[in-house]
Amino acid sequence: MNDTLSRFTSLPAKELEALDKAAGWSLNALELAEAQRQFRKMGRQPARGELETIAQTWSEHCKHKTFSGPVVFKDGSKVKKYKNLFKETIVKATKTLNRKWCLSVFTDNAGIVEFGKDGKWGLAFKAETHNHPCAVEPYGGAETGVGGVIRDILGVGLGAKPVLNTDTFCFGRLDSKKKLPKNAHSPERIMRGVVEGVRDYGNRIGIPTAAGGLYFDEGYLLNPLVYVGCAGLIPVDKIDKKVIPGDLIVSIGGRTGRDGIHGATFSSANIDEDTSASAVQIGHAVNEKKALDVLMRARDLGLYNAVTDCGAGGFSSAIGELGSETGARVRLDRALLKDTRIEPWEIWVSESQERMILSVPKNKLKKLAAILDAESCEYCVMGEFPGDGRLLVTHKDETVVDLPMEFLHGGVPNFEKQARRRKIRINSAPPALPSEKYGQILKDLLAHPNVCSRHSVITQYDHEVQGGTVGKPLQGRYGDGPGDAAVIWPQAATLDQTDFSGFGVSHGFNPAIGKIDPYQMALHSIDEAVRNLLCAGADVSRTAILDNFCAASPKDPEVMGDLVLAAEGCLDGAIAYGAPFISGKDSFYNQSRDAEGREYPIPLSLLISATAPVEDVRKALTINFKEAGNPVYLAGLNARGMGGSVYNELNDSGNNAVAPLDMGAAVKLYTGLAKAIKAGCVAAAHDVSQGGLAVTLAEMAFSGGLGAELDLAPAAREKKLTALELLFGESPARLVFEVVKGKETEFLRLVKGLPVSEIGYVSEEPVLSVQDGSVPLFREDLAGLKACWRRELI
Amino acid sequence: MKKPKAIILRGTATNCDIETFNSFKYVGAEPELVHINQLLSGGRKVLDYDIMAFPGGFSYGDDISAGKIYAVKMKKLAADFEKFIKGRRPVIGICNGFQILVKTGFLPQNRANAQVSTLYTNDCGHFIAKWARLKVNKKSPCIFTKGLPDEIELPIAHGEGKFIVEDKKELAAITAGNLHALTYCENPNGSMLDIAGVTNPAGTCFGLMPHPERNFFAWQNPDRPAAARETEAAGFQFFKNAVEYTR
Repeated sequence: MNDTLSRFTSLPAKELEALDKAAGWSLNALELAEAQRQFRKMGRQPARGELETIAQTWSEHCKHKTFSGPVVFKDGSKVKKYKNLFKETIVKATKTLNRKWCLSVFTDNAGIVEFGKDGKWGLAFKAETHNHPCAVEPYGGAETGVGGVIRDILGVGLGAKPVLNTDTFCFGRLDSKKKLPKNAHSPERIMRGVVEGVRDYGNRIGIPTAAGGLYFDEGYLLNPLVYVGCAGLIPVDKIDKKVIPGDLIVSIGGRTGRDGIHGATFSSANIDEDTSASAVQIGHAVNEKKALDVLMRARDLGLYNAVTDCGAGGFSSAIGELGSETGARVRLDRALLKDTRIEPWEIWVSESQERMILSVPKNKLKKLAAILDAESCEYCVMGEFPGDGRLLVTHKDETVVDLPMEFLHGGVPNFEKQARRRKIRINSAPPALPSEKYGQILKDLLAHPNVCSRHSVITQYDHEVQGGTVGKPLQGRYGDGPGDAAVIWPQAATLDQTDFSGFGVSHGFNPAIGKIDPYQMALHSIDEAVRNLLCAGADVSRTAILDNFCAASPKDPEVMGDLVLAAEGCLDGAIAYGAPFISGKDSFYNQSRDAEGREYPIPLSLLISATAPVEDVRKALTINFKEAGNPVYLAGLNARGMGGSVYNELNDSGNNAVAPLDMGAAVKLYTGLAKAIKAGCVAAAHDVSQGGLAVTLAEMAFSGGLGAELDLAPAAREKKLTALELLFGESPARLVFEVVKGKETEFLRLVKGLPVSEIGYVSEEPVLSVQDGSVPLFREDLAGLKACWRRELI
Repeated sequence: MKKPKAIILRGTATNCDIETFNSFKYVGAEPELVHINQLLSGGRKVLDYDIMAFPGGFSYGDDISAGKIYAVKMKKLAADFEKFIKGRRPVIGICNGFQILVKTGFLPQNRANAQVSTLYTNDCGHFIAKWARLKVNKKSPCIFTKGLPDEIELPIAHGEGKFIVEDKKELAAITAGNLHALTYCENPNGSMLDIAGVTNPAGTCFGLMPHPERNFFAWQNPDRPAAARETEAAGFQFFKNAVEYTR
């Protein structure tokens, strides 16, 4: 290696490529050539540490060069060019909306919106993925995924206090028959490892894991997706941070070791047999809890000027980011180590967990040290931020890096990506008649892995620590209702039990629609997330959202085509719903070779995470039926099309048309319904999503232990809608409401002119009976329905 | 009226300290969060307080076994803790706090302060968080459960909650003295006699696995009306009782 490095500036392209592969940098030809050019200009050869720094800083993980790069999109004969796809879609929506309550967007470790009634607090929200590590080492990958996103919240502004963790996982089908390649883990092994990792980390650090989802599809067999999110509270006067020249660089929390070398660069490549598990870090929740406790006290005492977390790229990224304007002098020999057999450049790029970097004025170090000691939290002073814009990293007498900051953070060379619309044949003929009775279909759907109960996973997470989980993941009389959104009352952050302000968090996710229509997938996902918030009683006119894209290799033009269409959906959806994106992340190269050596990519997967204020948590809504005799209403248009439905997965209806979302109508509908909720007319609300209307009704009934006598005849519907589409189709923008008896008149006044119809009433008898005019559809007892739904997934 | 001073003891990875602090504040105590390091360094003294609480969490990561490391750290100050308990000042240990009281030998109370019971890994083998129905033992001397209805609901959240005692003699002492102030209606972890909470014979030192601070207000319950009509819930009574006892 040293011999090759000494000839770096004159290496031919082939040898450069070999060097990159041997070192594990995942730099492309353009980037290698650019690095070569820069060192030629400086008239010297690079040190290993310098190329490592470049590889980290320019990695897909740190720079998101695919999404923020130029793209040419071909749709038949039409061509559209993007200079920066991310800026022209996601960021554009936020800029266009220009909402005053957005306090920080896209620039920091998380997005921040206003929280509470007196403008004192901000709510920071961020979601990440940790896919590649979880494929290789599920337990460690999940633990460090959770730890990483919590550090994003600790490192936003001058530090926010985490009050909620979210988790959404995608795995291959547990009953998959497909042969796995060597070294791949079975979906069950991955699921167990991931759930245990999230459990052991989240529970130990004392943050409730109370929102998220589980999704099974064969597309995730070799590449599971693990989305981890975190929300936290920050005083608004602690949002700005700035490194002052002369500040000390202080690392607090965990020690540095050889775990997690090249995590950032490894996420820029496909997983294969040679992928090393040593690229996955080892988590230690207790160290992060110590750092959290120290930060919250030190922040309020004003003991540091800036903070960020050590994530991908370790010290090199964290110190590089904080010192991007001032430069940095770093002495690696000062770092506390867990392993002394470590090269200086490895200390510099190691992604060992639980480390935060602070920029500390010299005269405040003593006070900070006292707090660190009081909390038994280790720390080391690594150097200082000088103000000359030069990055100088040394280890004893050895120079590891000596570069101007502008070289690292200046223009990264970028390839233009080719994108093309995928050709999908749409069949919109009426769905084939089912061979089974509707009641049996409903039971099959309730037992489907994408619909059935998640209690065996949820109950392993401490979803109520901090005493603020008012909207719970399991709701109702018997804890048997799948909540639409988590509602958090952050009393453990505000210390104020007389302020009932809270916030809701929900998700929208539907890759099955994306396989047919990526644009509609984005719209449906935004709609689902907003509807979930509405069902919990949140003020959806103030929704803020996060985008997390996961895709296969961007070298495939159809993968890029899907991404372009979904990003366009994000732009249109966000603007129509008035819901700005405040943060986001993307993960590419989620594909592997299967046992036969063929490429096996994931479907394009977009997780929309949404948050909105809940003015008074005491009035938050739940999904379970509350009282016999209360009328039941169905809101929204029942549209045709079985595309992307769970029903089609069980029993292909032949029809794969996706009902397009009418955004204008949906926003109008939700505005009216929000007024009715605020007026106290609503006793329970639940959205219609996976499995369709019948599943929604069943869940509301068995979680309340109350039946319902329903006739769908008055419901608003598209012409020629079949009973199958009505019961099991998944057209968007529909909700079911239980209205408080005696408040029907007020309710009807508030939703006047909207497609909202009374379809029956809640009954004492534990039976769900549904008919469509004179046609009986099904009549099932609740115990039988619940028994199908309540499966032990783990 | 003077507010009783409540010491909320914490350490590394004590997680439920703030909501426990909030709960004591709400019922009229003057709570203070104190790290065990502050006691060990002499910066704070337990005997300066009227009420003591060991909140839930994963103190020191549950390493070795839940509550063990915290209990070992308390050994140096055992005399002060003993005096506090013997002086019948109220002590409550919730979840990890109960585990600490068991590992120190303060609960179940015995002459030598020897550990005569443990809270072992749940029968299901892993952490479990859910709502549990609990029976209140009306004959118990426990001051914290006074005034509660026969049956209440509180959430549990623990991996090591299976209460087991050394021998039949110890178990008989518990039942004879009605020291088992709370029992599960549906045993979630395999505890002997469905025990969820144990008190000392004086009724002033009490440990329980369920979390009263998580069902303190009506809106913290998963089964609630569309708009919660009442304010306080079952958990409120535990804290209120402690403060009233000091008066």
